[in-house]
Amino acid sequence: MMEILTGNELTTGATVYLDKAGHWVEDLQAARLFAKEEAEARDAAIAASKATGHIISLEIETVNVVDGLIVPVRLRERIRASGPTVPVFERQHLSEDAHVSI
Amino acid sequence: MYRYDEFDASFVRGRTAQFADQVKRRISGELSEDQFRPLRLMNGLYLQLHAYMLRIAVPYGTLNSRQLRKLAYIARTYDRGYGHFTTRQNIQFNWPKLKDVPEILEHLASVEMHSIQTSGNCIRNITTDQFAGAAADEIIDPRPVAEILRQWSSLHPEFSYLPRKFKIAMSGAPSDRAAIRFHDIGLQAATNAAGEIGWEVWVGGGMGRTPMVAKMINGYVPHEHLLAYLESILRVYNRYGRRDNKFKARIKILVHEEGLETIKGQVEAEFAEIRGGVLTLPQEELDRISAYFAPPPFETLPATRIDVAREKILDAAYGDWLENNINSHREPGYASVTVSLKPIGKPPGDATAEQMEVVADLAEHYSFDELRVTHEQNLVLPHVKISDLRAVYDALVAAGLADGNAGLITDIICCPGLDYCALANARSIPISQSISQRFAKQERQKQIGELKIKISGCINACGHHHVGHIGILGVEKKGGELYQITLGGDATENASVGKILGPGFEAEAVPDAIERLVDFYIERRESPEEPFIAAVRRLGEAPFKEALYGNG
Repeated sequence: MMEILTGNELTTGATVYLDKAGHWVEDLQAARLFAKEEAEARDAAIAASKATGHIISLEIETVNVVDGLIVPVRLRERIRASGPTVPVFERQHLSEDAHVSI
Repeated sequence: MYRYDEFDASFVRGRTAQFADQVKRRISGELSEDQFRPLRLMNGLYLQLHAYMLRIAVPYGTLNSRQLRKLAYIARTYDRGYGHFTTRQNIQFNWPKLKDVPEILEHLASVEMHSIQTSGNCIRNITTDQFAGAAADEIIDPRPVAEILRQWSSLHPEFSYLPRKFKIAMSGAPSDRAAIRFHDIGLQAATNAAGEIGWEVWVGGGMGRTPMVAKMINGYVPHEHLLAYLESILRVYNRYGRRDNKFKARIKILVHEEGLETIKGQVEAEFAEIRGGVLTLPQEELDRISAYFAPPPFETLPATRIDVAREKILDAAYGDWLENNINSHREPGYASVTVSLKPIGKPPGDATAEQMEVVADLAEHYSFDELRVTHEQNLVLPHVKISDLRAVYDALVAAGLADGNAGLITDIICCPGLDYCALANARSIPISQSISQRFAKQERQKQIGELKIKISGCINACGHHHVGHIGILGVEKKGGELYQITLGGDATENASVGKILGPGFEAEAVPDAIERLVDFYIERRESPEEPFIAAVRRLGEAPFKEALYGNG
């Protein structure tokens, strides 16, 4: 099991994930995976993200990697990653000025 | 309906400007999220799973066509073309962007609407009977007093930080269509020995993780003392309600733990202090507010019987709609129409911008420009001439809103659940859809008769599962969703809380489970005239439990 960081972008409310380059992006599959022993790096990323003031409801989520795909353990997170299931709606997208990096 | 006076208009304009400034300061970084969060919540702006959600107050569930058209405009311009009507007679938009919210609030203010006190530990939107001012069985139209309570409770300086949120519901008719016994305070119109009309006051009802039926704290409070009496209750609650534990902070817990007599004594002591003071409601003021709710200029029409049997032969769907979606009106020749927001297989309570516009047009042309939102997540055209029913129906058919299922098994209350809600443990919309599809056939629904199914995706019970004749509660188990089934709840004057029948079901098994309960009811009812809830009361839960799980 690994961990990822997720939150919502301030201006759009869109669900976002921290990627390897330190950008907060919409794609779950681009999320940076933190191993157990990377807690320090993870916590530093959380602190840096909080400092931007633009990522809210920031959470650590546990995931599995199944056939190369990141699959959150919690159903809640799988729904956050895909959008409402019925009727199916596209997720909220980031607007041009809503890209956040650390 | 009520029109803002200069004070209301400037108050709402001021709040809108204040929030616009707060949003600007949040985006610029001047305000932190910790500072901003309570400010946005005070303006009805939540963060859900996928986006923000804006909850807009519909005071006592009353709208006019201009307001509904504005909601349609907001849905189309700032959201995704639809809105969700809630069990508190409000509307929610699921996809607004933070930077657009000040503009949305400006649009709302232009039609005398806002989002104030749709969140937070304050007195929330006061709800009423959706047929207020129209129902044949009404003692008094509750809306003038509801409006006075709205004015009293809006930004009440003493009650802006209560131990927990506080909900008031009112019914002016003996048939309780507003679930008043499941609110923090329920007000039921009553008459005294002299035949004067006042209010029976119920306190300490609620759902959530600890469902309670309210207890009657006073059998008759006259209009003039109602504000002072309610202020007394709120003061006792504000002083003694628990602030140490969010889950025990509602007034229902205080009433339950301290006992009704203790609370009553405290309320009476407070009331004795403030009775006859500034909160006395002068008759002139009640008359002034009541004038806003004067009956529309009804035509003098002969009493008209709707020949449902004949209409059914001519057009079965129209006949079914007449049978189920029409409520008796106090004025001869008129009826109230329930516009079902429960089309088979669709999310309960959702309406598209186009549908809102159709209903707004119908209200303008056929219902004296009046509309209502029901706590069962439907809309109502309260004052329609019986001779216009066919035209209204035809327009609803074209808009996909003519399901004749009001009060039937597919007229399901359902919270947004885990598809949207940050608090939910399980999805509820797909469950409502699968049940609605299973019982879609009108003949089958008719065979079953009145049966209220209510679904919540977590123990907070926004979907009112505790008071469903059949209630469904979604829970999380081992990372998946499981659904518990309750039986025997009732939100009316015969209030009761449903009981859990046994182990939960996987989502796919829920429609079969409901069908087993329904089939057992049909088999064991005394006659087709005995409703489901009456059969449950007569037979008890045990045989239903056996029908559901077998006798092993």
